[in-house]
Amino acid sequence: MSNLAFATPLRSPVEEFPARHIEIVSSREQRRARPRVFYAVVVVIGLFVLFMAQLLLSIVVSDGAYRIAALQNSQRDLGREQQALSEQLDLLSSPQNLATQAESLGMVLSNTSPVFLRLADGAILGSATAADAGESVITGSAGSLVPNSLLAGVPLVTATPDVDPAIAADAAAAAAAGAAAGTPVAGAPTAPPTADSVASNPTTLPSPVTR
Amino acid sequence: MNDARKTKRRSALAVLVIFAVVALFVVRLVDIQVVSAADLNEKSLSKRSVSQTTYGSRGNIIDTNGNVLADSVDRFDITASPLLVDTFDRKSEDGKSTVEVAVVDAINELAVATGATAADITTALTEKPGSNFAYVAKSVTLEQLTAVRALGIPWVYDVLHPSRTYPMGSVAGNLVGFIGTDGPQNGLEVTEDSCVGSSNGTSTYERGADGIRIPGSTVTTKQATDGGTLKLTIDSDFQWYAQQTLAQRSIELGADWGTIVVVRVSDGHLMAVADYPSVDPNNVDGVSSSDLGSRAFSSPFEPGSTMKSLTIASLLDAGTITPTTQVNVPGRRDLGNGQSIKDSWAHGDIRYTATGILTNSSNIGTSFLTDSLSNKETRRDYMTKFGMNSLTAVGFQGESSGLVRPTSQWDAVTNYAVQFGQGMTATSAQMASAYQALGNGGVHMPLTLVEGCTMPDGTVTDLPSTEGTRVVSEAAADTTVAMMENVVTQGSLKNTLTVPGYNVAAKTGTAEVADANGYGSDRIISIAGLVPAEAPEYAIVVTFAKPDTMKTSGAVATTFKKITTQVIKTFKIAPSTVPATTYPLNF
Repeated sequence: MSNLAFATPLRSPVEEFPARHIEIVSSREQRRARPRVFYAVVVVIGLFVLFMAQLLLSIVVSDGAYRIAALQNSQRDLGREQQALSEQLDLLSSPQNLATQAESLGMVLSNTSPVFLRLADGAILGSATAADAGESVITGSAGSLVPNSLLAGVPLVTATPDVDPAIAADAAAAAAAGAAAGTPVAGAPTAPPTADSVASNPTTLPSPVTR
Repeated sequence: MNDARKTKRRSALAVLVIFAVVALFVVRLVDIQVVSAADLNEKSLSKRSVSQTTYGSRGNIIDTNGNVLADSVDRFDITASPLLVDTFDRKSEDGKSTVEVAVVDAINELAVATGATAADITTALTEKPGSNFAYVAKSVTLEQLTAVRALGIPWVYDVLHPSRTYPMGSVAGNLVGFIGTDGPQNGLEVTEDSCVGSSNGTSTYERGADGIRIPGSTVTTKQATDGGTLKLTIDSDFQWYAQQTLAQRSIELGADWGTIVVVRVSDGHLMAVADYPSVDPNNVDGVSSSDLGSRAFSSPFEPGSTMKSLTIASLLDAGTITPTTQVNVPGRRDLGNGQSIKDSWAHGDIRYTATGILTNSSNIGTSFLTDSLSNKETRRDYMTKFGMNSLTAVGFQGESSGLVRPTSQWDAVTNYAVQFGQGMTATSAQMASAYQALGNGGVHMPLTLVEGCTMPDGTVTDLPSTEGTRVVSEAAADTTVAMMENVVTQGSLKNTLTVPGYNVAAKTGTAEVADANGYGSDRIISIAGLVPAEAPEYAIVVTFAKPDTMKTSGAVATTFKKITTQVIKTFKIAPSTVPATTYPLNF
């Protein structure tokens, strides 16, 4: 643009003189000015390219913004899901739940007649008696006395709310057989332990089967 | 020339007009760009920018094995705009047709999804019909939120509502405390708030017309800080066993309350502090307000005969008695002024050794042994060094320091009574801490509940002190424990207290409880002990207050044995290889 401002006064002395039969010859300045058009074209094209690049770049960036927003959302959702699952895991691994579930499967935690094995001489300390379900910490008392309101909706592993009818029939048969044999369904065996169990034979050690 | 002048004037006018217009623009430009720039910027920003709260995560509280006792979780408040409540069109599952959903149906679907009742939701939506905001349900889980979102109701929104959950319920609920709507309310949540506490931050970003964040426009005005992880010395599995066993026996005995405190003697770390009744932090309203804390720390009582072990240790340290010091114990000791000391059972003269006095828990015998160290100040100093009359190093919320009156206030009976645990008070925690010193060769370690606090940047603070103070000599402490073994091997409770294969040291306590009319029929029964006796690793104190069915320390024996057995199993104590120390009880 500034080129034009300089070019205008250069032309005025030419106009002052009346027209003669002479050919108008470009002045040296004008001849020199001619390449400036070329420069101008280059600059304009350059600017155009720059603007286009900028435009494309901002299109890419804002497209990235949508991707970032989508990814951040999915990261947040997955993080929440992971948190919800670990929260549930912590709840299910709480000691009340583990003890209640284990006892429902017939395991007994009894400390009334403990028996210990002394490694120094292999002696069995204490007189072994089979644990009775009544001695256990949950079923032996009025249920879990260490409340956890979050466990309210957690079913027992032995509960079979909606199972295949065939399996349910099997379970019912097993329960009936257990009841007939005088064994509490969810309790420990009350029948005397067999001769090869550690508990029934406190004086000798069973030979180890594996390492 | 007229023309030329005209032209000149005309061009001058043009220049003037141009200047005027340019000047006008410049003024306006300066006004917009400089004078009211800040104001306009703010206005434009407020149209594009959104301010949001970034939530800092409150730190977890974990047990010594890393199991989570208190956890920060995301919950969501479901809100709605009553102004916009209307029927809406929902795309059917194939996505082709739409179904119109009535407001009533939408409310019923919301009720199913959130667990709130349809009536409550209807009330919330119709209470202020012109309002733009109403709560449909508060603190729903992610599962429920997903269900709500799946309904696709256009006038229902959700807001993040960070919350706190206690996956183990009342396991250590007495210690951990809980968070209310206004922040931490009780227990370690309050006293360790400087560790686990977090602060919310704020940030702003600019968004486009479709709500998408403009890249690079986020400005954090306040950084959110996460809380640290608080690690306790408690073993949650063992704590659960202690609480379950304690609750079971307390109910059987009809006890008003009970405590079990288990301390590792080498460093004073608390393995379990069980209270009955105690709170489930997930359901604070489930118990009365007096049961929200930990009575093991907050309820001092006259400990009774469990104090005799400390008296024996003091006298052994002073060198005034030995385990076989001979005392002729009469059935009653008169102190003049109509005051006397009696034993819990009627008897004539009995020839007891010091061990016999401890094993049979003779108050009269203890009073004669006390005579060997007549200096009251010295005896009181021993008690304070065992941790009596001062807060434990735990400094639990609402902790009591118990009370041992200054010797100037000791009358003739109190002078002896304090030596067998009447006329002074202590908490279960203090008793456990004192027995820790007995088990640790006479060195009293600061009682510790917090193992440390790990801040998010990895720095660890709140490390417990490991500096112990010597109370009595190692010989005095070890001899006392050996004498206490005789309570288990030769005392009246030997059949219920003996754990096969292990030497256990214990002392029973059946303390009278004073009410407004003096000592009544209520008792506080306890057993304090150490396992294994030859090299104690754990101190155990089991206490039941005001039982109805059995009022002697014998009622504690089965629980004490169960806890001892569980300590052996949980902390893998090897069976004793040396026989229990036996001293003669009589001469």
